[in-house]
Amino acid sequence: MKILVPVKRVIDPYVNIRVKSDQTGVETENVKMSMNPFCEIAVEEAIRLKEAGKAEEIIAVSIGNQSCQETIRTALAMGADRGIHVLTEEKVEPISIAKILAKICESESPGLVISGKQAIDGDNNQTGQMLAALTDMPQGTFASKVEIDGDKVKVTREIDGGLQTVNLNMPAIITTDLRLNEPRYASLPNIMKAKKKPIDQKSPEDYGVDVTPRVSILKVIEPPKRQAGIKVENVGDLVEKLKNEAGVI
Amino acid sequence: MHELISKCQKSLITVDKYYDAALQHVRGELIVNGKLSRDNLDREQHAAHGLSWVAAYRATLKEMVNWASNLDSTGTFNETEQLILQITFSEYCAQIKSGIPMSQLEYVRPQDLGLKNGLFQETGTEEFNDLILNGNSTADRMKLAQLLKDGFSSKNFGNCGLDETTSIIQEQFRKFVEDDVTPNAHEWHLKDNLIPMSVIEKMSELGVFGLTIPEEYGGLGMTRFVDCVVTEELARGYIGIGSLGTRGDIAAELLITGGTEEQKNKYLPKIASGEMLPCAVLTEPHSGSDMGSFKTRAVANGEHYTITGNKTWVTHGARSDVMMLLARTNPDEKGYKGLSMFLAEKQRGDDDNMFPDEGISGGEIEVLGYRGMKEYEMAFDGFQVKKENLLGEKEGNGFKQMMETFEAARIQTAARALGVAQSAFETAMQYAIDRLDTNGGSLYDKPRNASKIVSMATEIMAARQLTYYAAREKDKGHRCDLEAGMAKMLAARVAWACADNGVQIHGGNGFALEYPISRILCDSRILNIFEGTAEIQADIVTRRLVSTNPA
Repeated sequence: MKILVPVKRVIDPYVNIRVKSDQTGVETENVKMSMNPFCEIAVEEAIRLKEAGKAEEIIAVSIGNQSCQETIRTALAMGADRGIHVLTEEKVEPISIAKILAKICESESPGLVISGKQAIDGDNNQTGQMLAALTDMPQGTFASKVEIDGDKVKVTREIDGGLQTVNLNMPAIITTDLRLNEPRYASLPNIMKAKKKPIDQKSPEDYGVDVTPRVSILKVIEPPKRQAGIKVENVGDLVEKLKNEAGVI
Repeated sequence: MHELISKCQKSLITVDKYYDAALQHVRGELIVNGKLSRDNLDREQHAAHGLSWVAAYRATLKEMVNWASNLDSTGTFNETEQLILQITFSEYCAQIKSGIPMSQLEYVRPQDLGLKNGLFQETGTEEFNDLILNGNSTADRMKLAQLLKDGFSSKNFGNCGLDETTSIIQEQFRKFVEDDVTPNAHEWHLKDNLIPMSVIEKMSELGVFGLTIPEEYGGLGMTRFVDCVVTEELARGYIGIGSLGTRGDIAAELLITGGTEEQKNKYLPKIASGEMLPCAVLTEPHSGSDMGSFKTRAVANGEHYTITGNKTWVTHGARSDVMMLLARTNPDEKGYKGLSMFLAEKQRGDDDNMFPDEGISGGEIEVLGYRGMKEYEMAFDGFQVKKENLLGEKEGNGFKQMMETFEAARIQTAARALGVAQSAFETAMQYAIDRLDTNGGSLYDKPRNASKIVSMATEIMAARQLTYYAAREKDKGHRCDLEAGMAKMLAARVAWACADNGVQIHGGNGFALEYPISRILCDSRILNIFEGTAEIQADIVTRRLVSTNPA
């Protein structure tokens, strides 16, 4: 079985996000970029399945500019077998990513697609679900446990009320939640091996997908800074301020 | 080419002239009848060692230009890097012109090197003078301070110039250190604990101990340059973590350059996997740097050598499996030639039973910092070493064999110093940003705090580029004792300055054991001492400089 793992290059989770002065987006120049943490968990899960003898090959896919190569290389260093880099300078939206992934699924026929539940940049939480719709594959989102049994996969999902277990026929799509596993560090020998693993370079046109954005961003602004509170003398003052200053009652 | 880079290049012309004049003067003082005079070297030590510092600054500035040019060619020579280059050039050129601190108390001035005051007025290029005058303004320093602050959350303090693979390596080791080392380092230090074996095992899995060992002996055959990047990251978490590999490095170098094929096959794979932890048993109570006067005896006795004598400053002495033991096999040879190197196996000890082997006793030396492996003194009384454990199976080569390891060990030590310096810098910066004053601003808003941070960032980058240079020379197979010595000397000074000023930024809290900066101060102090003191490094560098034929 093949496992397809989409990996996204995002601003490192520890970076303080700054809005560009022209309000067109957030600052990415000179900012540390990393693999989306949920994608790391997806790569780790795929590797564990391979180590357990449930999968033969792991393919890491990234869609974006030239520097996405490094993100794929990191996935290869962790243990993925080969990469596909779909090169584009466009800011690619979830629907376009899902369409490209659907095409890749057609040619690669993976038994599982394991992706992050969302990327921490846009927090869209859409790609996995859209891909399921496009490919007509069953989906198990927000996975905290994945167990393969023959041609079925049992996915434990984290939902608001607790845990839900779904049994999916494979091929299926799984999106990972935070508690699924703890991703490994790539060791030096594996980083060296990764240098020799192939990365196939493609373009959106190769898949016949138009990645032109459908959503236009008018402006990006910082959330208002929280003001310091004040202490009031008595209940009367409080009611007065809530009424006249805050205007909430 | 970027205008600033060509300006720096042109100011190097003056630095070269100054260096040449200083070299000529020192050569005149030290060379008698075509040979280096030891007496003169001792008498003129200040000027002689001063020359090594001038050479170190010159090499550093050259490497900064190379670093900047490489970034420029890939379109990544941005404002942060430009300011780092400019401020480093301005400061170091100014120091060359007026006085370089060899330590806080000793400055080498142009007049010490026999150079008249007017030298720079006559020969200084316009660029050299302009950089000194205008390259280090408060406005520029504060601009860099702001950029460093902006980069703080992503730990972006200027592009070090790593390629894709090395960046991935750096990132993976940074993650390991942030998760498993940094949160525990201070407790290990305060409790004077040995680094837990579970962490050492994780480092084995990551490939730390076999990094530079050739693949045919179970290692990864990677470069000294990669080792520098890894070592810096490890030492950034804790000096002890960055130093675990040093012993393996030295043992591996000894085996590769001086071991027999059987010895290589027997020991290298075990050192590479981390299964065998080595320790260096060299220093004696009466002499450290002067190995020629070592007294510990190894007496041939059938199939064994019997070891008798006292050794001290053995790092990781108890919990190690094999000793690199330097002992005198020939008592008639009083100097270096009577020494032989043994790879002597020993049993692993612990805090309760430090030295289980027959013929070894010893105790712990309590120390200020650089804990985690612990320091020991060891007494050998009839300890038996098999003859096959004599390195190269030939007597009298011990000192020469040891010398062969110095280049690699010193480069690795420079990288350790960079890691400690970097942790002092980041710890101090965090404190300066977080600590609010009564006006609602932070300590970082005060120029003298921010300025300290700026100096740390620029000097660390400078020492880093010199260290990388030494490593790359080693990787090319070039002789690089000169470069290694300069890198170790500079990086150690920088680390101490960063730690000391890091404590200053913390004020009274920096003096409290509770704050990690107090440990970093203690840890950084060793860097100027071990692996050849600052004075010994300067001596080695100067001897090379004056003995080499003028280019």
